[in-house]
Amino acid sequence: MASTERPEGRGMGDRIYDAIFHSYFWQSIFRSGYPNTPRNQMLAVATNVFLHLHPTRIHRTHVKITHTYCLGGLSFFLFLGLTITGVLLMFYYVPSVERAYEDIMRLETDVRFGILMRNLHRWMAHGMVIMVLMHMMRVFYTGAYKPPREFNWVVGVVLLVLTLLLSFTGYLLPWDQLAFWAITVGTNMVGSAPLLGEPNRFALIGGFEVGPNALIRFYTLHVIALPLLASVFMAVHFWRIRRDGGLARPL
Amino acid sequence: MVAAAQENATSTAVRAKARRQRDEELLVWPDLVFVEFIAAMVFLLSLTALSIAINAPLLDRANPGVTPNPSKAPWYFLNLQELLLHMDPALAGVVVPTIALIALGAIPYFDNTHDGQGEWLSTPRAGRLTFLGAAVGSIGTILLILYDASKHVVIFEGLTGSKWPVGLNFLRTSRALQNDLPWPEWSKKIPLGDFIPSTQLGLPKIVLDLNIAEFLVAQIIPVSTMVGLPILMSIVLWKTGVAKTRRDHMIAQFSGFIAVFIVLTIVGTAFRGQGMELLPPWLVKPPIS
Ligand code: HEM
Repeated sequence: MASTERPEGRGMGDRIYDAIFHSYFWQSIFRSGYPNTPRNQMLAVATNVFLHLHPTRIHRTHVKITHTYCLGGLSFFLFLGLTITGVLLMFYYVPSVERAYEDIMRLETDVRFGILMRNLHRWMAHGMVIMVLMHMMRVFYTGAYKPPREFNWVVGVVLLVLTLLLSFTGYLLPWDQLAFWAITVGTNMVGSAPLLGEPNRFALIGGFEVGPNALIRFYTLHVIALPLLASVFMAVHFWRIRRDGGLARPL
Repeated sequence: MVAAAQENATSTAVRAKARRQRDEELLVWPDLVFVEFIAAMVFLLSLTALSIAINAPLLDRANPGVTPNPSKAPWYFLNLQELLLHMDPALAGVVVPTIALIALGAIPYFDNTHDGQGEWLSTPRAGRLTFLGAAVGSIGTILLILYDASKHVVIFEGLTGSKWPVGLNFLRTSRALQNDLPWPEWSKKIPLGDFIPSTQLGLPKIVLDLNIAEFLVAQIIPVSTMVGLPILMSIVLWKTGVAKTRRDHMIAQFSGFIAVFIVLTIVGTAFRGQGMELLPPWLVKPPIS
């Protein structure tokens, strides 16, 4: 197309570059080229659906790694990674007492990259709990919960609880001894609460002891209810950061 | 005229301030987006490496008939499971975490000053208070755990070469207060009955009968420890002038809380063997069934 108008002597690289980045198709996705002026760079952030979670400009102290250590961002990144690996695991896993354990075994031995997916999901899950706790500490020690950010801290505490619940409900799914007894111990703690403890425990595991009902409840909570809830609270969390004027600064 | 001039003046000042702030700002693209991208890649690669190197655990198929010893919750709940060993289960498993979460969420409403905002530990005494809070929290927790495992008895017997005096048996652990003191018979069951009509709401019956010694050991002592020691810490810090502002107290309390949380988690994970006995990590064996 455009290459006919170019002077001779253009190398193969230039022509491939043109064919890709100046193609009709590419330009239908990205309306402008690489943003290399400040104006275009701001537009790139403001008009891209994913990037526009960010403001277009940010105070220089907040770009320094040592201000946030990217901990909140990494929590979110792990959440996304867990969603992707989790969807792949769902292809092979049936939440029934008869099949769950065998499915995990088969996933590890018969499915290509199955064990990698499971390992990634497991280590990312532990990682997310740690990241969220460290993020909370970073927010505390930088005094970033102070007005007007009080409520976003509360949203954060809800996210912390949801993260723990996500991890806890996932723990039961492999249906091995580790899973079974960890959940038995954990739900027994709920059962010990005064007054509402026993009814709550019954509702949570669908019976008097961990069994098929508990498995299906934990599965449903783990793959849909809690992730949806966490997404809603994350959306609020990120929106509030923008509404509160970006990250906290000294007055 | 004057008003217009004034307005003009302020708006110039405002504009100047805005310009100064602009100078301090960087563009999100490329400065932030690239940092995020690199952080994400480093994490993705190291997690992939970890996942290739270490497999997620998969034990035998679940068997309700075979209870492993010890049975442990996931690591982030082992702090609560550790508490469970020292007090009433309802207190450790439900009341404490609920109150801790509410208190955590309430932090910004107590400390709503702007002191130390937006910068790491930027108030004058912040570093020292972080250290003091963490030290009090971790040392206090360790001492309490050692006491409940009768380690003071071991140390006493090792140092003096003689047995722990029988008369002091009630000081072996906190539970010994109940078991090794001559509590009168009447105090073991004070019939308060079950007059709360919870069954009419379809809830379990609540029997309020009271065993004073049990109540003391499982409720009163743990609650006064968990509430009293932090308050005591703040009072001491305040009287000695180490903590002056709300932010100061918040830093000490939060650091103490995090230290307690970490110590309890580590002890519950690595120092509790069969029968949840307190052991050094190298003696903690995998659970037996
Ligand atoms: C799933 C969990 C969470 C995710 C994905 C998340 C994500 C984020 C992100 C991406 C930021 C931007 C700055 C940064 O990266 O540090 C942020 C800021 C913030 N987060 Fe979180 N967060 C989570 C949990 C929490 C928790 C547990 C708390 C506190 C209890 C919290 C309180 C805050 C506050 C107050 C800010 C504003 C910080 C500032 O202005 O400097 N978040 N969060």
